[in-house]
Amino acid sequence: MLRPLSSLLGRLGILLAVGLLLCWSLGPVYWSFVTSITPPVDLFGDPSFWPKHPTLEHYAKLFGSTSLSQGNAVQSVWPQFSAALLNSIVTAAGATAVTVAVAATGAYAFVRLRFPGRDICFYLVVATLAIPAYTVMIPLYRLMISLKLIDTYTGIVLIYVSAFLPLALWLMRSVYQAMSISLEEAAWLDGAGRFYTLVFIVLPLAAPGLIASAILTFLNAWGQFMVPLVFSPTLATKPLTVLLPEFVTRNYVDYGLMNAAGIFAIVPPVLIVLLLNRYLVSGLMAGATK
Amino acid sequence: MMRSTFKADEAALAAVFVVPILVIMGGLVFYPLVISAVDSLYRINPMQPDAPFVGLANYARLMTDSSVQASWFNTLAYVAAAVVLETIGGLGAALLLDRVRYGRQWLLAATVLPWCLPPVVNAIVWMWIFNPSYGLLNKILLGLGIIAENKVWFNDQATALFLISLVHVWRMMPLTAVIMLAALQSIPADLYEAARLDGAGPVKCFRLVTLPLIASGLAIALSQSTVFAFNLFDEAWILAGSSIDTRSVIIQIYLTAFQNMRLSSGMALSILAMIGSLVVSLVYVLRVYRETRFD
Repeated sequence: MLRPLSSLLGRLGILLAVGLLLCWSLGPVYWSFVTSITPPVDLFGDPSFWPKHPTLEHYAKLFGSTSLSQGNAVQSVWPQFSAALLNSIVTAAGATAVTVAVAATGAYAFVRLRFPGRDICFYLVVATLAIPAYTVMIPLYRLMISLKLIDTYTGIVLIYVSAFLPLALWLMRSVYQAMSISLEEAAWLDGAGRFYTLVFIVLPLAAPGLIASAILTFLNAWGQFMVPLVFSPTLATKPLTVLLPEFVTRNYVDYGLMNAAGIFAIVPPVLIVLLLNRYLVSGLMAGATK
Repeated sequence: MMRSTFKADEAALAAVFVVPILVIMGGLVFYPLVISAVDSLYRINPMQPDAPFVGLANYARLMTDSSVQASWFNTLAYVAAAVVLETIGGLGAALLLDRVRYGRQWLLAATVLPWCLPPVVNAIVWMWIFNPSYGLLNKILLGLGIIAENKVWFNDQATALFLISLVHVWRMMPLTAVIMLAALQSIPADLYEAARLDGAGPVKCFRLVTLPLIASGLAIALSQSTVFAFNLFDEAWILAGSSIDTRSVIIQIYLTAFQNMRLSSGMALSILAMIGSLVVSLVYVLRVYRETRFD
């Protein structure tokens, strides 16, 4: 009699805990979405968890050629918003492509090729994980000015690569170390060169690791704020993360607009979580247990 | 003969693969790091003509600067709040995820989501929740009868520090949860069985089986929480800007270097912050090392 009751209570407890965890993790994101489709009048009246008059007004403001704010025509934010969205995509995708390519080949060299100073090089690079980005930022700023790389895609991507490469290298090295060398040896015996073996035999097998490093690098680059705050002063390279807070500093804070724009910045990470969660979690675990 | 050509070929390929890494990391991390350390001993300010050697004067001034002291205090508050909340919440979430049988990967996806979002967007989403006039937090607390009137949350330093920590915890707790989940899943099930046969209840099981076996995972999670909270910038900057009540050490560095243009002073503070961050990580690493060595 007691046993089924206590197990029922235990199940209820777990259910309650699951509900709590879901509310905590998804609640703020859901609220942001609701805000983005609630008309301004309701926003400052009595917003409800289920929007009574859903509207695309805030999104129209993002995309429109002119926009209304408190009844006054104001300049459209679309030129800024679209430029920043493009910058976010270009810098994050560029950093991801370069980082993964360099990490995939570099980690292979650190695991399979023998050359003098191999281990020292690897540990020096990975040790930079412990150096916070801001420690090098001020000299880097002056270096980038002298190289004329401030506010250029090249400059931003290079900084991202230097920041995210150590983690990707670490991840890819553990992937290669876990792979058996026998397949590669068979290929060499058949006369295949090192490079051919790497590209056509090793890399396809390392695909899960490559995807995991790509995801981690992309998410890190996509969410970066402090680096572009310093190195992207204008819309030539300014990403969404730097543009969004600028909507606040005007005398009127348009929360509907900000949440609508925020939803756009949230979409790529959400898609990654939904479609590639398995790789993401394995990458997080491997990256965290350094 | 055959062997030596293979070796030369190998070294050439290694050079092609490794030299780009050395150039990028050397040029963009090690070189600026050295410059940072050296230049912190000079007075470098674009507004002033020359850059004389000043020894440790920049560091000495940092020790007595009241804004710097305030920023150290705030950073310690962030670290304390973040480590406690992330560890409790993350461990709780991991224990739950370990028990859930159906739809675990979906619950895991939902749990991990906040970590994936841009910190700036998180801060904006929460800023709207904390809004004094129309925010959700005031509405919920009013509805529950916990507060009698709308509160302006960021008027009070302790509350402001706590709320900024909370936004940070919302983002970073998933990392602790994932690390702890990995540790939990590495525990063999027969250990629990044996403990249960010996008459251990759930609490005793947790204390005697779970806790010792997840200790090294816990240490890793703790060090991650500490280092990330130590380097907190985005959340505090978006939610409260340069306010002295909430500015972290990193915000202080940013303001010193990029708004007041006292570059060498900023570099000195960034060197101190790096040493602090390194010492903290080292303490945890040594702990883990000792623990894994002893068993």
